[in-house]
Amino acid sequence: MTERGPERSDANATYVFAVCRNPDPSAVAGLPGVTDKAPVSTLSLETLTAIVQTVRACEFTNEAWQARLCDQRQLERYARAHHDVVAAVAACCPTVPLPMATLYQSEERVRDALANEADRFHAALKRIAHHAEWGVKVYVPSCPPDDSNRSTTPADRSRPAPGAGLAYLDRKRGAQERRERRQDEALQAAEAVDAEVRSLATASRRLRLHGPQLAGERRVQVLNATYLVAEHRAAELTLLAQALGERTGAQIELSGPWVPYSFVGEV
Amino acid sequence: MTHGVVPWDSPGPLDGPIGVPLVDLLDRVLATGVVISGDLVIAIADVPLVRLSLHALLSSVSERVPAPWADGGPL
Repeated sequence: MTERGPERSDANATYVFAVCRNPDPSAVAGLPGVTDKAPVSTLSLETLTAIVQTVRACEFTNEAWQARLCDQRQLERYARAHHDVVAAVAACCPTVPLPMATLYQSEERVRDALANEADRFHAALKRIAHHAEWGVKVYVPSCPPDDSNRSTTPADRSRPAPGAGLAYLDRKRGAQERRERRQDEALQAAEAVDAEVRSLATASRRLRLHGPQLAGERRVQVLNATYLVAEHRAAELTLLAQALGERTGAQIELSGPWVPYSFVGEV
Repeated sequence: MTHGVVPWDSPGPLDGPIGVPLVDLLDRVLATGVVISGDLVIAIADVPLVRLSLHALLSSVSERVPAPWADGGPL
């Protein structure tokens, strides 16, 4: 990737936020985008329009991104700037968002890309028309009350009784079985939620599970999935998530509507 | 523990609120479901981030679906 990079430090590159049809140019007016070098603008090729911004190439090299990704504040700044532009465009017309850091060496290269991939963009636009993406995350408690010690009364503990070693092994075995049962139940809850939400979604994807640093100490994330849902079924989804939470006892977080980031790459 | 659904307080269509959680946003703007560790260093080897080719962009998602419990998370 870097061998095609700019040789000169004053070279420009073109950052592409999204591709859409018939945008209202005023939708992105005033948005900062990812640089102060130039305003966010549009680049049209036949019926497709790319939402672009001219940037300094030296600030958007692979190395620059690597550094940015290691700095949470920088990463957040760019992710939100990207998302702000995508969301503003999507609010006014059908929009295929591109992943953050999609860059071309020139506007001409963007036009080439639009021309070469026009069919796929049209297919993606068709797929997501009148749909939004919704995220569903399911959590279970990480440390349910452990009653393994309550089976023995205080009297039992005062001195080793005959068979104490056997009782200890029984308790250990019981704890193991309970742990396995909890895992099974959590997995079943995740699968049940996923299956039911899929039944009203047009498409679905599993995302990577978030680790304990993100989920929090008291709960374990057992499902991080995202669904492409028709606009007219969004209210149904909210009710379903509520009902599933009550039925499974798991904590269910619904997020959305998102611009369908996760459903434009597979067409 | 709450059992309730926690929806966004979303003011408008497709216009995420200011408080969109960063991790959920990154799951999407990076399009691959990025795993972020506590210090927020991304496993960059898995994320072909700077794309000079649209083909790469459109074909790079959804290759990796994680197995549940892959990280042996505590239950």
